[in-house]
Amino acid sequence: MTLSPDQTILFELWGIPLNATLFYTWVVMAFLTIVSLLITRNLRPDVPPNRWRTTLEVIVQGIQSQIEEISRRPSRHLLYYVGTLFLFVATSNLLLVVPGFEPPTSSLSTTTALALSVLIAVPMFGVNSRGVGGYLKTYLEPSVIMLPFNIISEFSRGISLAIRLYGNIMSGAVIAVILLGVAPFFFPVVLDLLGLLTGMIQAYIFAILATVYISTATTPSRPTQTQKDSQ
Amino acid sequence: MSIDWITVAAQIANFLVLVWLLKRFLYRPILDGIDAREAEIASRMQEAVQARHKAEQAEAEYRQKLRSQQSQDADLSEAIRKAAEDKRDAILADAREQQERERALWLTQRDDEAREYAQKLHHVGAEALLSLTRKALGDLADDTLEARMAAQLIRKIGPMAADLRTAAGAAAGAVIYSHAPLPPGVTDRLTSGLAPLFPEVALEFRTDPEQAPGLVLRIGGAQVAWTLDSYIDGLEARVADRLTAAPEPGGPDHGQ
Repeated sequence: MTLSPDQTILFELWGIPLNATLFYTWVVMAFLTIVSLLITRNLRPDVPPNRWRTTLEVIVQGIQSQIEEISRRPSRHLLYYVGTLFLFVATSNLLLVVPGFEPPTSSLSTTTALALSVLIAVPMFGVNSRGVGGYLKTYLEPSVIMLPFNIISEFSRGISLAIRLYGNIMSGAVIAVILLGVAPFFFPVVLDLLGLLTGMIQAYIFAILATVYISTATTPSRPTQTQKDSQ
Repeated sequence: MSIDWITVAAQIANFLVLVWLLKRFLYRPILDGIDAREAEIASRMQEAVQARHKAEQAEAEYRQKLRSQQSQDADLSEAIRKAAEDKRDAILADAREQQERERALWLTQRDDEAREYAQKLHHVGAEALLSLTRKALGDLADDTLEARMAAQLIRKIGPMAADLRTAAGAAAGAVIYSHAPLPPGVTDRLTSGLAPLFPEVALEFRTDPEQAPGLVLRIGGAQVAWTLDSYIDGLEARVADRLTAAPEPGGPDHGQ
């Protein structure tokens, strides 16, 4: 039994072995890009919107409204980042219904990569919003004693994100493999439906948590008691 | 469960590429399209507001014109009504004036007809009275009317002869007027009857068709007459009384 698609080598490209995680990631990327390209190629103000364009607008505006509800600050860069996170994870999990497709999110390497990207994005958005000094100062709040705890908290966020996403997707795959051995003609359908549901929920949770982390870094902190006294 | 760090690095790179791709082909076109549509909707709403403002202005102008037109119509109606009343008053005044003229003309004609009728009645009455009197005198007294008139005139002059002579003064003649020529016997009788009363006055006989039947003596500035006028006037008064007395409704004459 292979738990991670990283161990499945599909073919070699210029001598470099390509595993299933990378291949299916590219499939997802190609799918999202082509669908976006097809829908938005005739997107002009003089052309009335069709149902596909309206669907995309609903998705994009839904993501934007969710981000604005959490961060209270409309930001297109945050939309690009968090929206891509959500669409990638959601599409990967939805394509689970395609026979033979292995979602890249069931690889710990993929979830680790996404968690690392969030880990890097949080200080980048924080520095962009509050400046280097302002962002680093957040590690000293509410006092200098909290510095190691804030650093641990920062890393534990990324680790928890990665483990949560991986665990959910992988557990679904593991349970499917086990149950296939028990009742091969009944459980796959139910598990596929369950996988779709948990996949969408995980994509939503992952994107929401990333937004919360980034918003925490970009939102000005409340003044401490010492700052209030000095004012 | 293991982490392939090469795959991790590749996935981070893949994710960054995907961010760029979706930003290029999904987010920007969609958001730009939404922004363009919002701008277009805002523009159309602005145009709608302007159009509504223009419509409200046009409505206000129309209402103003309507009020002005209604005011003009009211003034025109009042002027027409006034003119019609003036015209009606003028027509009524003309009609009343015409009616008054016709009434005056009718009264004049009625008076003329009445006068003519009275004259005819007078004339016919006089002739009838004259004829009947003459016939009655001839049948009953074997006498003529002229002879009885002469006798009446002489008898009437007798008591007033002195006054007549005083009134006549130095007049040398007297004239007796009659409606028709008098028979010779009557003239002789008058001459002989008046000679003692006026011995120095020459008597002359003349006829006047306009005069009522009878005899009129004119001497100097005085005049003594006996005519049928008083009888005719009495006859006319009796006829007038009978005509003006309306018969009672349901009376015996009316019923028959």
